[in-house]
Amino acid sequence: MSIYSLYMGCSVPANYPNYEASMLKVAESFELTLEYLNDVACCGSPNLRAMDYWGWALVNARTLALADITEHDIVTPCNGCFGSLKDVYHLLKHDTEYRTSINVELEAEDLEFTGTSRPRHFIEVLYTDVGLDSIRKKISKPLDGVGIAIHYGCHLLRPGDVTEITPEVLSELVRVTGAHVVEYPLWKQCCGATVLPVDEALAIRLARDKLKSMKEAGAAFVTVVCPACCNQLDLQQLGLRELYGEKFDLPILFYPQILGLALGFDEDEVGLGMNRVPAKPILQHFSK
Amino acid sequence: MTETGEKKGLPDVFIEPINMSELDRGFRKEIQSMPNGEELSACFACSTCTSACPVANIWEIKPHQLIRMIILGMREKVLSSKEIWLCLTCFECQERCPQGVRVTDIFFDCKNLAAEENMIPDSIVALGKELLEKGQLYIVTADWEREDLDLEPDVPGLSTDAVKRVLGGTRTGRLVKGGK
Repeated sequence: MSIYSLYMGCSVPANYPNYEASMLKVAESFELTLEYLNDVACCGSPNLRAMDYWGWALVNARTLALADITEHDIVTPCNGCFGSLKDVYHLLKHDTEYRTSINVELEAEDLEFTGTSRPRHFIEVLYTDVGLDSIRKKISKPLDGVGIAIHYGCHLLRPGDVTEITPEVLSELVRVTGAHVVEYPLWKQCCGATVLPVDEALAIRLARDKLKSMKEAGAAFVTVVCPACCNQLDLQQLGLRELYGEKFDLPILFYPQILGLALGFDEDEVGLGMNRVPAKPILQHFSK
Repeated sequence: MTETGEKKGLPDVFIEPINMSELDRGFRKEIQSMPNGEELSACFACSTCTSACPVANIWEIKPHQLIRMIILGMREKVLSSKEIWLCLTCFECQERCPQGVRVTDIFFDCKNLAAEENMIPDSIVALGKELLEKGQLYIVTADWEREDLDLEPDVPGLSTDAVKRVLGGTRTGRLVKGGK
């Protein structure tokens, strides 16, 4: 049994309790103990990084320092939080001068960034610490080879030297559930979330192009591991009907929802009814 | 049709000359001293970053041009450009740069310099205001959904005071109070 410090960020708990609940269920199945890390700050998102790098580095260094005290790795289900934490971790590990200035500030709260606790995305913990074999053994209701397109989310994969996560991590996790991973031309393209406050039309267009590419490649469902990406692909899909006159009907599921169902949890336990584009059609694809 | 050197379909000026007196020679060093800016000079303008960018098509100034403009010292043009704020932060450019220039990170540095001079979209300052006043970007509104899933009612573990305290003393605080 492994213990981790759980950093939820604000977007998942506020907007996607279905992601939070399904992650907790999945973790429990594999005896991963996720302990909520207390007194932590919001990561601020890439927009805080754009406006106030020092403030962004400081709030995230503070969170990392709190995790250091627990001596457990800090785990998050959000690409945005993961990107912020991992980026600041990378900076402080490599730039000793910056690290010293940050630690001077943290001292006021009797905190210090030591880098003992590594920031990790929940799916990477599943992939690395649990492993595909152990996951396969626990799957009681595999999928029937239905086509699922993966939207990785930029800050999960890039910059690669910072995130240290390759696309295989998620694609293998999807395959182990029995699904077929649908490849599509725009698989790397951004969902548009970061520019939403600056140029809404552009952000929506990016989401639309992405959905179109997935649909045309034959995807029946889509999986994501980030609340901001889910906003763009699930929630915005409803608006696209009016804006572009296009109806994609492409259900967007968080990966732990899919894995949770394959592990035998029922639809309410993974909050399937909360997905905006109705996701229940996926239930027909799990073996009885 | 005038006769002033304008031959069929060709513009008067092919390339707008750069006014050398407007260049800020220190700009390159300034960026290089910022986080992940060191590799800037390695750029040889191959424009791979522009090819990788999903939105460069609609940018007047392309990513490789912005990098070149930084190296040349066109500080004001870069910092006042709308393009730096339209960066998706998808890191596609940075990932593919054959010279290891951290393009996306450098655009983040540019946005910070622009913000310091109050050249920042109101919508971004508004996000800063949210962080300062509420200590988080997203608030739980549908607490019954959390209850249905046996989750605690509020955002778990979050200290809103920490964000308010830290950012109150940094640029976010100054920008928000500055009333821009």
